[in-house]
Amino acid sequence: MIMPLINGLKITLKHLFMKPVTLQYPDERPTPSPNYRGLHALKVSHNRAKCVACYLCPTVCPAKCITVEAGEDQNHDKYAERYEIDLLRCIFCGYCVEACPVDALKMTDQFELANYKREDFVFVKERLLEK
Amino acid sequence: MVNLTIDGKQVTVPKDATIYDAAKSAGIKIPILCHDKKLHPFGGCRMCLVEVEQMKGRQIPACTTPVTEGMIVSTMTPEIVKARKLVLELLLLKHPIDCPVCDAAGDCDLQNLTYEYEVNANRFQDEKFQHKIDYENPLIERDMNRCVHCGKCARICDEIVSYGAYSFLNRGLEAKIGTEFDGPLNCEFCGSCVSVCPVGALISRPFKFKARWWSLNKVKTVCSYCGTGCQLTLGVKDNKVLTTIYDENQGFHNGQLCTRGRFGYQFVNSDKRLTTPLVKKNGRLEQATWDEALGLVRQRLSEAKIAGGATVAGLVTPRLTNEELYLFKKLFGQGLGSDNIDHSAGYAHEALTAGASESLGYPASPASISDIQATDLLLVVKSDAYETHPVLGFEVNLGVKRKGVNLRIVSDKKGKLSRLPNAATYIHRPGSEVVLFNALAKVIVEEGLADSTATSLPGYAELVQSLSAYAPTAVAGQCGMSADDITALAREYAKAEKALILLPIGIGYPGHGKVLAQSVINLALLTGKIGKEGCGVLIMGEKNNSQGAADLGIHPVAGGRDAAGILEGCVSGAIKTLYVVGENPVVSYPNRKKVESALDSVEFLVVQDLFLTETASKADVVLPACSFAEKNGTFTSVGKAVQKVRKAIAPIGMARSDFEIFSDLYSSLGGEVPKGLDATFNEIAAEVPSYSGLTLEKLGENGSVYPVTNKPRFMPVVGSAQESTAGAMALVTGSALNHCGTLSLYGEGPMYVCPEGYIELNNGDATKLGVEEGQSVTVRSSVGEVKLKAKVSMRLPAGVVFSPYHFSDMSINGITDGASVTWVTISK
Repeated sequence: MIMPLINGLKITLKHLFMKPVTLQYPDERPTPSPNYRGLHALKVSHNRAKCVACYLCPTVCPAKCITVEAGEDQNHDKYAERYEIDLLRCIFCGYCVEACPVDALKMTDQFELANYKREDFVFVKERLLEK
Repeated sequence: MVNLTIDGKQVTVPKDATIYDAAKSAGIKIPILCHDKKLHPFGGCRMCLVEVEQMKGRQIPACTTPVTEGMIVSTMTPEIVKARKLVLELLLLKHPIDCPVCDAAGDCDLQNLTYEYEVNANRFQDEKFQHKIDYENPLIERDMNRCVHCGKCARICDEIVSYGAYSFLNRGLEAKIGTEFDGPLNCEFCGSCVSVCPVGALISRPFKFKARWWSLNKVKTVCSYCGTGCQLTLGVKDNKVLTTIYDENQGFHNGQLCTRGRFGYQFVNSDKRLTTPLVKKNGRLEQATWDEALGLVRQRLSEAKIAGGATVAGLVTPRLTNEELYLFKKLFGQGLGSDNIDHSAGYAHEALTAGASESLGYPASPASISDIQATDLLLVVKSDAYETHPVLGFEVNLGVKRKGVNLRIVSDKKGKLSRLPNAATYIHRPGSEVVLFNALAKVIVEEGLADSTATSLPGYAELVQSLSAYAPTAVAGQCGMSADDITALAREYAKAEKALILLPIGIGYPGHGKVLAQSVINLALLTGKIGKEGCGVLIMGEKNNSQGAADLGIHPVAGGRDAAGILEGCVSGAIKTLYVVGENPVVSYPNRKKVESALDSVEFLVVQDLFLTETASKADVVLPACSFAEKNGTFTSVGKAVQKVRKAIAPIGMARSDFEIFSDLYSSLGGEVPKGLDATFNEIAAEVPSYSGLTLEKLGENGSVYPVTNKPRFMPVVGSAQESTAGAMALVTGSALNHCGTLSLYGEGPMYVCPEGYIELNNGDATKLGVEEGQSVTVRSSVGEVKLKAKVSMRLPAGVVFSPYHFSDMSINGITDGASVTWVTISK
C-alpha cells in the first residue's frame, strides 16, 4: 500500500532536479532544427532574385497561396515581376521549395510571424528577399 | 483497303495510309516530332521508328512508310525504345534545358517525350547552339537554339500559307532554320509556324511570359473577325483572354488561323473597353448607371413607338450572334413597328440579300467551303479574296498545290494568289467586273457552251437578249482586257467539269453588290455549275456573322429605309432616334462628312459598342456591350455553317451582352422575350426556313451546315463602263490582310504590323509623281482630301491606287462616296 506511493514520489523527486523541458519564451528562445519550415525567402544571386518565374511553386502549392507574375527584363529574360505569398493561407508544407527547379526559394527558421493586420501577412517580393 | 497487324491488333485502312495513320486509327500512339497531319510526311525526327516483320525487323519510320497487305508491325519493342531514347538524347545534346523560362513547357513535344521515355541522363557531351535570338518583330520570337530541326515551320509556311518565310540554311551540324539572308523575320505573321513548333523555338511574343500553358482555361469558340468561321481555342486565365491555342482537330481548317485570328484577340481585354454606360450631359459624355442610361433609351423608344415607329432607325453590326440579331429585329419590327434597320452600310450585304436571294431563292452562297478543294477550276473575283478571308486563302493554296485546282483570277490588281502555281490573273479595269462577267456569259451563249439545263430556266430568253451588247470585241476596251483573253477564260470556265467562283464582299468593296452577284450567278447557272459538288459561287460575307444577318433579314424588307436612307433621314429630320449597335459608320461607311453630319443632326443617338468609337463619341447615350468571348450564341459562316460561340470570360466591368440589353428594351415595350438562348434559337429555326430542324444541341462541336434548295432563275443585269476623269487615278478600296472591319484596330497584333492607313501605288506611277515609299501624299477626290503614306508596289496596274478602309485617322471614307471606283489626284 505504501510502496506505490513512495515510487510515485521518487519519480516526482527525480524530475525536480532535471533540466526543464518548457522554454521560458520569449526570455528563452529555441534553436529550430536545420530542416525547420519557417518563413520563405527568395534567394539572391548577382544582386537579383534567383527566381525565374517558372510558376512551378504556385502550380504545386496545395493552399494556393503563391501569386507570381512574370516579366521580361532588358535582356529579354524572364523574372518575377510580382511574387507574393499569403501566409494566412500557407500551410508550410515546403512543396514550393521542393518544386523550385532553380533553387531560388528556401524556408528560413523564422517562426515569429504574428501580426496585427491581415494585409501584413501578405509577403511581397521585397519582404521575401533573403536578407 | 489494306489489312495489317499492329502490336497484335488487326487494322484495316485505305491503301494510301501510312503505318502512322493506321496505328492512330487503331488507337495506338506512335511518338512524333516532325509529323503533322496537315503536312506532307517528312521523316526527319526518327521518333516514330517501328519494326516490320517482313522487313527483317529493321527499324523504319512509321510516318513515311505506306501500309502493305499483311504487314506485321511492332511499335514498342525494347530495341525501338532504345532507339527512341537515343534520338532524344541526341536532341537534348543541343537543346537547352531552359524549360522553366520557356513558354512551350507543358505543351512541348520534346519535354513530354523526354518524360515519357525517362531520358534523365545523357551519354554524350557537346556545346549548345549559340544562335542569335530574333526579338525584332513584335509577334513571333525565334530562338533557334531551341530548334530540333523538324522543319514543320518551313513546311507549313510553304505548303499551306504559301509564303515561304523559312528554309533550312547550311548543312550538317551547322544546319538551322533561317529566313531570307538570315535576316529578321518579316512575313504576313499568321503564326502558323508558332502553332506547329513542337518546342519553344518559335513563340508568340504577345503571350510571352504571360502564363504557363497548364494554368490556362481552354475555351473552344468561333473567331469574331471575318466570315470564314474558323474555330478558335482561347487560352483564358483570371478573366482574361491571354492567347489563342492551336488545336489541329478543330474545324475544316484543322486549327489553322490567320494573323488576326491568332494575334488579334487583345481587343477583348483592351484597356479601352467601355465599362460603364455613358450619358451626354452638358455636351459631355459622363458615366451613368444602367438604370439612368436605359431609362433614357426606353423613354425615347416608347415615344417613337407611339409616333408609329417611322422616326426610329437601327444600324447593327453583323458581328452579333444570330440570337442577338434576331432579338434586334424583333425589337424594331414587333416592338417599335419600324422597318428602318440595316447593316454593313446597306450595300455590303446586297450580294446575298438581294443578289443571291432573287437569283436562287435564298440569301446565301450556292456552295460551301469544302467545294474549294473539290473543284477543278477556281475563278476568284478580286485577288483581295485572300486579304478578306485569309483562311479561305489557305484552302485555295491547298487546292491549287495539292489537288491540282486551276486558279483563274479576275482582278483590278495582282495579289498573293496570283503567285500560286499555274494561276492566271486577268487584270481588268477597276469597276468593270459586271461588264466582264456579262461578256463571259455572252461568249458561252454565242459558242453554244451553255449547259442543257440552262435554257429551261426562267429568264433565259431575257438574259440572252440582255447580253447582246456584251460581245467581247465590243466591251474589251471597257474591261481593259483583250477580247481573246475574255473568250479564252469563258471557254475554260464552261469546259471545266467542276468550277467554283469566289466573290468576296464587304464595306470596302462597294462594287460587289447585287448586280455583280447576279451576273456571277448567271454565269454559273448558264454552265450548269450550281448545285453540284465542287461547283457554285461562294459569296464571302465580310464579318463573322454576315451570313447570319443575311439569313435573318436584318435589312429593310417592307419598304423601310436602308443604311443610306437612314442617314439621309437623320439629316432631313425624318429619323429622330438612331440606335447604332456595334457599327462604326463614321469610319467605315462611305463619305465620312455626310455620315458625321447625319449623326450630328439626329436628335437622339444611342450607340452600343465595346469601345468609345468615333461614332460612340457623338452619341447621347453609350451602352457598353460584350465581346464574342463574353457570350454564348451562334455565328453562321460563309459556308453556311452554324457554329456555337462559347463564353470564355465574365463581362468586363458593367458591360452587358447585347442580348440582355435588347431583352430589356423589348420587354419594356411590351414584347415577350424568348426565355434564354435555346428558346431564341428555336424561334429562329421556326422562322428562317434554312434553319428549320436545327437546335443548339444538334449543332454539336463542329457546327452544322444548313442545306438550301435552289430555285434558280436568270436575272439579266446591266453593267456600265466606269467614266474616267482625265488625269485622275482610279482609287479602289478594300481590306488589308491584318485587319477586318474596324474591330481589329483594338487588337494589338494587327496594329503592330499594320498600324495606319496607306495608299498603295504602282512603282511607275510613283516615279512619275516623284513619290517614295513611306512619303506622305495628299489624295484628293471630288468629296474631299486625305493625307496618307505612300506604299509603292508592283502589283497594281498603272493608273490604279489602292487603300484599305479600316483606319480612323485619315480614313479613306473622307474621299469616297460609295462608288466602286473613286477618281483621285495625288500630289506630294
